[in-house]
Amino acid sequence: MSQEVVNKALAILGPNIELKTIAQGAEAVVFTTKVHPYLPNGNEDKKYIVKYRPPKRYRHPSIDQALTKRRTLGESRLLAKLYLVKGLNVPKIIACDAYNGFIWEEFLGEELPDGYGFSNLKNFLWMYSAKDRNPHDEVVKNTLIRVGRQIGLLHWNGYCHGDLTSSNIVLESVDGSWQPFLIDFGLGSISDSVEDKGVDLYVLERAILSTHSSYADQYNAWLLEGFSQIYNDHGKTGQAKLQEVLNRFNEVRLRGRKRSMIG
Amino acid sequence: MSSINRCYTVLPQFPDYTVSISLFEDVSNAQELRSKVAELPFALIDARAICSREQLLSAIYRALVEVSYNKRRTKSLHSECLLCLSPSSNIGEAFKNFGLKDDCKTLIAVQILGPNDQNAVERLGEEIHGREVELLDQTLQQHCDETFIRKVCGHQR
Ligand SMILES: Nc1ncnc2c1ncn2[C@@H]1O[C@H](COP(=O)(O)O)[C@@H](O)[C@H]1O
Repeated sequence: MSQEVVNKALAILGPNIELKTIAQGAEAVVFTTKVHPYLPNGNEDKKYIVKYRPPKRYRHPSIDQALTKRRTLGESRLLAKLYLVKGLNVPKIIACDAYNGFIWEEFLGEELPDGYGFSNLKNFLWMYSAKDRNPHDEVVKNTLIRVGRQIGLLHWNGYCHGDLTSSNIVLESVDGSWQPFLIDFGLGSISDSVEDKGVDLYVLERAILSTHSSYADQYNAWLLEGFSQIYNDHGKTGQAKLQEVLNRFNEVRLRGRKRSMIG
Repeated sequence: MSSINRCYTVLPQFPDYTVSISLFEDVSNAQELRSKVAELPFALIDARAICSREQLLSAIYRALVEVSYNKRRTKSLHSECLLCLSPSSNIGEAFKNFGLKDDCKTLIAVQILGPNDQNAVERLGEEIHGREVELLDQTLQQHCDETFIRKVCGHQR
């Protein structure tokens, strides 16, 4: 299955574009490549993300094409809009081929020191939970507040992520501090619904709780501190909206707990 | 002679096509060119609407995607380029915003040659009365109207 999908992508992109598979999900395969789709003589160490939605055999071909086109275009348009939001960090979209299901974007992130892997938030927190490190380090605090601020900016501007896990938050070291970027807007939407926002916050809280349970309370408090800062910067309106989101977040949490009690 | 200034490129996904982009300054016959733009074998673009090579090349890439995998929405690959520069799919609007205007002094000519197309780049110098200069981002930035581009592309700051 996997090799078949890779071959399909290679057949469309042609022999000039070398692909390396880095992730394979239900919906899409993610590759990296050193080839820019249209800019000549790029930087040697630069690489790009190619996200490919392969055709699904179990769907009727014309329905499948229409769905692929709609989802690819939808994600591209959303990413393009988000890139223009001041202060919000998302990958820059480079190209889109909606007919074949390709999105090209800027590669973000780096390797963490000491073999902790790719610099997403999950691995970063693992790194700080190691024996020789302090999980409550100022660096962790400041990074999580910045992550919270990114989510605050996203929500304040009327967007939701839809799959806000700690793997979909990528860190880049800029001038000695970690700057968070939000990636994978495949389930994202233009949405001002408090429910969608509450669910975003809940999904991230669960992700932190399941992988870093001993420090989760403190971590989630820092995330919410950053999140609230953005809303509180907007006076009384901001504070009122913040309260709405936080109330709904609580409700979603209670529902989640009930669901897990039932089984 | 002036062709050393020209930017020739092949996009990795579309190796059967050759793209050439030229920038002309001090153009004196924009009005004349405009009257026969439909017959010319290249796309003529108002340089005021372009701020970088990236902007041009991303539209060219998109035009090649459209003609290769979708259906051509305009008469030629060249008009498809103009359409792809525009954020809207309205062809008239794309031509109005990115196409040649009578008062154009700086213009960009884009030619995309497919496997069966005749090379007509040589005609550029005869048709366009102006000075061909190197296509550099720096030069494009000097000629572009940033306010106009922001307005057209819906990027308010
Ligand atoms: N812009 C990007 N920069 C770096 N890695 C990415 C990027 N987009 C996706 N990835 C990686 O690919 C995985 C799956 O991507 P996605 O299907 O978009 O969730 C992510 O968890 C990341 O590890």
